[in-house]
Amino acid sequence: MAKKILIVDDDPNITSYLTEFFEDNGYATCAASDGREALDVAKKEKPDLITLDLEMPDEWGPRFYRRMSQDPEIKNTPVIVISGLSGNQYAIQKAVASISKPFDRDELIKIVRDAIGDGK
Amino acid sequence: MFKKILFATTASPACDHAARVAFDMAGRYQSDLSVLHVLGVPSRGFGQYVTDVRTGEQLVPDEDYVAWVKEEMKTTYAEQLKQCPGCTMEAVAGIPHTEILRFARKTDADLLILGGHTKDRENEGYTYRNMAGSTLQSVARSARCPVLVVSRPAASFWGGFSNIVLGTDFSKAAEHAFRFALSAARQLDCRLHLFHALDISGMHAGKVLEQDEIEDRLRDSLNTMRRKYVSQMKDFKNYEIDAWEGVPYVEIVKYAREKFADLIVMAHHTGSRDAENSALGSTMEQVVLRATCPVISVNHADKVSQDA
Repeated sequence: MAKKILIVDDDPNITSYLTEFFEDNGYATCAASDGREALDVAKKEKPDLITLDLEMPDEWGPRFYRRMSQDPEIKNTPVIVISGLSGNQYAIQKAVASISKPFDRDELIKIVRDAIGDGK
Repeated sequence: MFKKILFATTASPACDHAARVAFDMAGRYQSDLSVLHVLGVPSRGFGQYVTDVRTGEQLVPDEDYVAWVKEEMKTTYAEQLKQCPGCTMEAVAGIPHTEILRFARKTDADLLILGGHTKDRENEGYTYRNMAGSTLQSVARSARCPVLVVSRPAASFWGGFSNIVLGTDFSKAAEHAFRFALSAARQLDCRLHLFHALDISGMHAGKVLEQDEIEDRLRDSLNTMRRKYVSQMKDFKNYEIDAWEGVPYVEIVKYAREKFADLIVMAHHTGSRDAENSALGSTMEQVVLRATCPVISVNHADKVSQDA
């Protein structure tokens, strides 16, 4: 079964771009448009990795991470922060990596592979 | 809570993270937000000229220039203004801290928001970055309302408050901070973490404490928190209490990070009895500069709820 990545971003263009990009590289995906929705999806889908935006309309990324880290079933899921905000590498201390938008696809896929291996 | 917020800004990138918090709070808590820019930043005295914050030019702050600055502020914050259409923009010439305090009094603001530094001086070395800006120092000392400071970009990534840490050393000044933190936690439905850091920094100077003694003191600190604070909290149960030993500012920053705190509340200066004349306490100053969330300094009790 393909490894699954949860994409959390309020920008539908980023979500569809990442979905296509990860699927082309052999990963399964699911998506959420803000932190609150992301927690429900994460609990249901049990992703192998999460890409997380910081600034979203209702619940922001760090708040989602806090709630996620209190749930024993999903708390150890690796998280990659993908955000346009400066200083984003200090937002979530335990994140696998922090990437600024616009990002380099090769760099992103390398980080994903290092964290969870190939898609299948 | 947070009905009238005054955000004092240079409207430059150095204030972007404070702006993120200010506009988000105004939208989230339906606050009246005033954005104030003090023209100039003169170095001393009352000159007739102001220094344009972007170009560095010396200019006379006449009506046209002030109107132009206001328009520039609207352009700078155009995105944020879409979420806060009722927000007002003001620009005045003068000494920044004087004008900020004057404006806060005039508008009866119940919260002031500032950046840690108003200037972005990346190359001025460790000393500058290790100190709170002089405007912040003066405003935090004299403001009648609590002052919220967003120093690092990472302190602006939370989007509202749900986890408040009160850093206390059990002083009288910390009592005001406690009342404010409790009132905020009640009204905004937050978890309140009461935290005391036992200062063992003297160990390096030869003032050695046995571990038994440290742990006895930590236990005493927890009991003091129960007696002084928990006893006043009545039906409020969404809290926890903790005491850690170490260098106080390091422990407070670490504790806040560990608890995913989105707000730290502390007294402006706990060691001084004279609120009007005390500088930002050294622990407070370091917490302000290092925290990964906004920090509120409470110096005067005027705007702090008395019915904790």
